[in-house]
Amino acid sequence: MAVEQPGKPTLADKIYDKMFHNYVWKSIFRTGYPNTPRNQMLVVATNLFLHLHPTRIHRTHVKITHTYCLGGLTFFMFLGLTVTGILLMFYYVPSVERAYLDIQNIQTNVQFGQLMRNMHRWMAHAMVILVFLHMMRVFYTGAYKPPREFNWVVGVILLVLTFLLSFTGYLLPWDQLAFWAITVGSEIAGAAPVLGPKTRFWMLGGFEVGPESLIRFYTLHVIALPLLAAIFMAVHFWRIRRDGGLARPL
Amino acid sequence: MATAVVARPAARPQARARDEEVLVWPDLVFVEFISALLFTFTIFILSVILNAPLLDQANPDVTQNPAKAPWYLLNLQELLLHMEAATAGVIVPTVWLIILGAFPYFDRDNDGQGAWFATEGSVKLTVVSAIVGVVGTWLLILWNQGTIASVLNSWFGISGGDTFRFLENSRAIQGNLPWPEWSESIPYLPFELRILDEGFTGFGATTFQNVDLPSFIVEIAIPIIMMVGLPSLLIYVLWRIGWVFTRRDALIVLFSGFVAVNAMLVLAGTGFRGEDQDLVFPWNLSVDEGIPGYQPPD
Ligand code: HEM
Repeated sequence: MAVEQPGKPTLADKIYDKMFHNYVWKSIFRTGYPNTPRNQMLVVATNLFLHLHPTRIHRTHVKITHTYCLGGLTFFMFLGLTVTGILLMFYYVPSVERAYLDIQNIQTNVQFGQLMRNMHRWMAHAMVILVFLHMMRVFYTGAYKPPREFNWVVGVILLVLTFLLSFTGYLLPWDQLAFWAITVGSEIAGAAPVLGPKTRFWMLGGFEVGPESLIRFYTLHVIALPLLAAIFMAVHFWRIRRDGGLARPL
Repeated sequence: MATAVVARPAARPQARARDEEVLVWPDLVFVEFISALLFTFTIFILSVILNAPLLDQANPDVTQNPAKAPWYLLNLQELLLHMEAATAGVIVPTVWLIILGAFPYFDRDNDGQGAWFATEGSVKLTVVSAIVGVVGTWLLILWNQGTIASVLNSWFGISGGDTFRFLENSRAIQGNLPWPEWSESIPYLPFELRILDEGFTGFGATTFQNVDLPSFIVEIAIPIIMMVGLPSLLIYVLWRIGWVFTRRDALIVLFSGFVAVNAMLVLAGTGFRGEDQDLVFPWNLSVDEGIPGYQPPD
């Protein structure tokens, strides 16, 4: 039997070779284009962002109906909110004199400003809904069971952080909706027995929603809470890997 | 020297089933990419057709009526209408979050993990508890609003007269029963306990010495009995008829009931609470009440 000889390289092969086997590409990606199982595993293992994943996962877990991508989409909302949020920060100053006018300015004078604000707002709502749905999917697939107990707890913390992120952002437009919503919301916190009034005072930086509250909410919203959430998400993802990937039946 | 070893056999990752595995690239990365794309597209289209709300500039002197918290807190705001503020706004959510976080420490059995509704009868339990949650929440809201009493009266001519007026809603128990005067201030501490006196700042101190019994019953006791008792009763009944068997079953009832109740409270708060937090139909709401996308007419 004749051994099959490799044919002459076609034009496509040559282009492929030039693009993915050159010095610069290899300096960035180390692997060739992920078109062989070897390269596909290497690319996941060596790329920081893809490295959140294992190189191989169980068949059932790539089925869309297992997770509906809900956790992933929650994370994706977080990323999208970061991007649109940074763009909004270019134009927004958290002072009582400027906040509302800045929002108006974003909506009317800034290129794509209204679009950015809308996307930021709707993604924030989407994130709250998605994180809740994600929790439901984890519950109904029994995925909190050992050894994933603690990751469920980390999840509950992330749920609270998501609410807080959304809540602190709610005040920033400094319109009537924002002002009274935060007034009501902080009154809820202020009702706590014994510690309530102090908590409310710390939260608002005063007895009423005012300039101090705005700067507090802003700082929490753009740096403190996102940082905390990012840390807990890192733990959450790390634990998924450590706990042996997603839960599967015994 | 011996080191204590706590045996937790289940807490070890399962052995991998390598022949059942697929490559993350392309199989998973592809799914993630498509869903991210679809979502970006959806959010983008939504943002093109629907603007984020922006009302008039904040003005502490002009009260919004009704003033509503963001929609995901309206469950608590709805509770606030029915009971004492600290109970509704702080104690209930805190206790619930602790219970939620403790789920995996209560149900440690690996049975039914990793697949949707994998334990026997779990769909049935979910549906039943959700229905009980939905119906129960609305019945309680309507009762406490006096709606049930007024419907019974005006549609069916049924009325308990003055004797049974105290059953119309929970506050009527306080207002329409002949409570003796002493019951409104019953000392339970021999001394006055004051905590965190804020002095002139206006909050005043929390004092502990006397309890206003009728108000305590209506504002704290009845709500807590409902919130703890009704779910427990449901689990007990389902256990007696043999539907609830394991801890997982009990949690399914609790969690599904919670999701349903929570959804109904948010719905009631968002779509059915009008001026002065009165119960109205959604089409009778004026649209600036926190409905997304509302733009004030100019
Ligand atoms: C900001 C919020 C959150 C993010 C970004 C997030 C993200 C993720 C992602 C990407 C996964 C992988 C599987 C999937 O997509 O479903 C996951 C799994 C998991 N999440 Fe979350 N999550 C969040 C909140 C929560 C909450 C609120 C809970 C529960 C209370 C939770 C509990 C879990 C558990 C137990 C797993 C492992 C599931 C399994 O093994 O099948 N997470 N999370």
